[in-house]
Amino acid sequence: MTGPITNPYAAQRSGPFLYGLNPLAKLAAPLPAMLLLVFVRDIPTALVFLAVAYAALIVGARMTWRLALVLFVAMPAAIALVAAGLAAWTDPVHVDRSVELLTIGSWTLYAGAVEVGLATGVRLGAIIALAMVAGVTTNGVDLVRSSVQHLRVPYRIGYTALAAFRFVPRFGHELDVIRQAHRVRGAHAGRGPFAAVSRWWGYIVPLLAGAIRHAERVALAMDSRAFGAYPQRTERHTVPLRRRDAVFVALFWIATAAILIIVPRL
Amino acid sequence: MTAASSDDARDGFVSVDRVAITYEGERDPALAGATFTVARGETVLLLGPSGSGKSTLALSLNGLIPHAVHARVEGAIIVDGLDTTRTPVSRLSTRVGMVFQDPDAQLVTGTLLDEVAFGPENLCLPVSEVLARAEDALRRVGLWERRRDNPDSLSGGGRQRLAIACALALRSPLLVFDEPTANLDPAGIEEVYAVLAELAATGDHAIVLIEHNLDAAIALTDRVVVLDADGRTFADGPTDDVLRGQADDLKALGVWLPSSTLAAMRLRDAGWSIERLPLTPAELRTAVDAVEPPAASAPATVAAEPAGMPAAAAPEVAIEARGLSVTRARHRVLHDVDLAVRRGEFLAIVGPNGAGKTTLLQALSGVIPVPRGTVRIGGLDPTRASGRAVSRQVGFVFQNPEHQFVAHSVYEELAHGLRRQRRPDDEIRRRVHEVLARFGLEARAGVHPFLLSGGQKRRLSVGTALVAGAPVLCLDEPTFGQDRARADELLRLLRELNDEGTTIVVVTHDMQLVAEYADRTVVVADGRIVADAATASVLADEELLARTGLRPPPLRAALAGSRHPQLAAVTRLADLTRGRVVR
Repeated sequence: MTGPITNPYAAQRSGPFLYGLNPLAKLAAPLPAMLLLVFVRDIPTALVFLAVAYAALIVGARMTWRLALVLFVAMPAAIALVAAGLAAWTDPVHVDRSVELLTIGSWTLYAGAVEVGLATGVRLGAIIALAMVAGVTTNGVDLVRSSVQHLRVPYRIGYTALAAFRFVPRFGHELDVIRQAHRVRGAHAGRGPFAAVSRWWGYIVPLLAGAIRHAERVALAMDSRAFGAYPQRTERHTVPLRRRDAVFVALFWIATAAILIIVPRL
Repeated sequence: MTAASSDDARDGFVSVDRVAITYEGERDPALAGATFTVARGETVLLLGPSGSGKSTLALSLNGLIPHAVHARVEGAIIVDGLDTTRTPVSRLSTRVGMVFQDPDAQLVTGTLLDEVAFGPENLCLPVSEVLARAEDALRRVGLWERRRDNPDSLSGGGRQRLAIACALALRSPLLVFDEPTANLDPAGIEEVYAVLAELAATGDHAIVLIEHNLDAAIALTDRVVVLDADGRTFADGPTDDVLRGQADDLKALGVWLPSSTLAAMRLRDAGWSIERLPLTPAELRTAVDAVEPPAASAPATVAAEPAGMPAAAAPEVAIEARGLSVTRARHRVLHDVDLAVRRGEFLAIVGPNGAGKTTLLQALSGVIPVPRGTVRIGGLDPTRASGRAVSRQVGFVFQNPEHQFVAHSVYEELAHGLRRQRRPDDEIRRRVHEVLARFGLEARAGVHPFLLSGGQKRRLSVGTALVAGAPVLCLDEPTFGQDRARADELLRLLRELNDEGTTIVVVTHDMQLVAEYADRTVVVADGRIVADAATASVLADEELLARTGLRPPPLRAALAGSRHPQLAAVTRLADLTRGRVVR
């Protein structure tokens, strides 16, 4: 309850270059690369895309300690974990068995298995890093505004989604209280997956009852303030699509194509 | 419609004419026949017992009923010449601004400025006009300096002032407030009423106010409309005529009256010759000081022995904390607290927001972990005892009863606590039926707990806390966000349980509750106990109350310093009955 409250809605339109771009441009630019990475199998291509995303974030986003932690600790650790896990679990029948790295009893780790694991880990890392380009430099309000202004998303849907976004912390708090109350009552005590399922099922009814009531109240409050009165509403903040957005998207797409064509041939 | 009533309708800016409202799927109307008018610039207080349809009426004034909430509306509601049943809510929003009870359920955007601009933007006003209105509205509630902040960073009172600003920004000539302070602490209530008093004083809005806290509302009210239990207009007239003239009828109807009025009615019964009933603390003080005490009155003192305090020299301790410190998220919430809850007492824990009251209550009842050896609950150390054993010693009632329901029927809800104690089946059956009877829930045994009425849910939550035989009941803000009638019902129940021997511990902001019910009061500030004494002496310590941001209950404020020594120490209505004051 106490402590500083950061404002997830506050618009940050100044700062490194990514903040000055339209959220839709930041979503559109890496999208082809993200989709194609699902099919790309080789490590170098995925690594180059990972590097591009890191470069964009390092140059274009404000480097907070939290972002640094994600980029330089969490991400490498996650890639290593996925690689190691897949290398150990992949069926050796399907991999290149020419190089043996390690033998424990009858089990052998082949270099081919490590390669498969690493490729998957780096691909997943690259997809996440590309998504972060928009994710860490855009706030929800600007994305909704931009979608309403440029994609013709009905504002009734966009702003209702924003209001719903406000529910999240409230429900987190409510869930904590419900869990505490159920623990005090000694409900669904016990260990194991079945006890856990019945415990969570027990939280859902009170949580939903509270959520529906809250949503109804918010809807009445919005109606009372003329929400939905006209097909349009005044936008105080336009989120423009400018030449720099087009340039950013075009450059990103050209780079994507170039990487896909050139890197596998090296 | 007769010629006379249509003339009346033209006089009033708002005209409610024989309005009956029946919700879809219900047989009985929520409101049976309300008739009144509101003129421009007038402040009308709408009163009525619980269930009389006050909130239903509020929702129909801006057309939410029947447009958003489906219901059959009979009679006519005309606002500024518009029939609310035929005009869309969005069009009515320029005539009627609404402020609801829960400040959190009225927020849509992420900054104060965006929030206030939301309404004008929906009306498609030009940007310059939107900004002008937003600035004007925020300045009127004193929040302009914080326009860039997230509404979540405001206090409850601040968020409710923001909701008022949002209504003002629509520039609607009628403002409707539905229990605007029910979810606020005393400081928040004062903030909201400071804003409301200014709005009422400028006279550019008609105001319809639904409020149970009459002590705060009465100062700015021009006229009072009272609905009866069915939702028919029972009284309608200037505040003085209705509240002073029909006080006895209103009390019989179950309508809450200002505490000064209730106090004067009690004094009258005790033989004091108060002719004109007072409505405010100042009027009460003047009224009692102007007359002599009844002849029978000997120079007596009030409540010579603190009521309810066990006379025994060393009362048995039910729960004890020694050197209790609690740390949460690297923040120390409680510092080295010593406190003993005595068997059979009614103990109140009060203090400003964030002082650690709830944490203290949760630590005393084994809800949160505490350092080993710092708390003993009925002789048990909660860090070593099982939850099952602790629940035989103390029951905890959460603020929202729904949070603690775990079963699919009322019967199972009560049986759950006994099965947990591994009692035999026939004993479970017998005990559950006892509790069902005790709490008036026999007819509802097979119903899902969520389908009970609000009052029944509250009673069931108290029943589940006590079913395992716990001699101590702890309640966190039990009256918060409830209307007065429901709060009173719960408090009467607690009083009965206390009389039967159950120890009661409550955390609360409601100082009149403290004054009326608690034997002993503990004041918590900054994680420390700063006072622990009989309620009357805590409430008499003005310096302490001021220092900890608490407010004396209205009765205390009125009578402190009265020239009658037998009244000067009175803090609760119960002290004003015959035989106490007149002894």
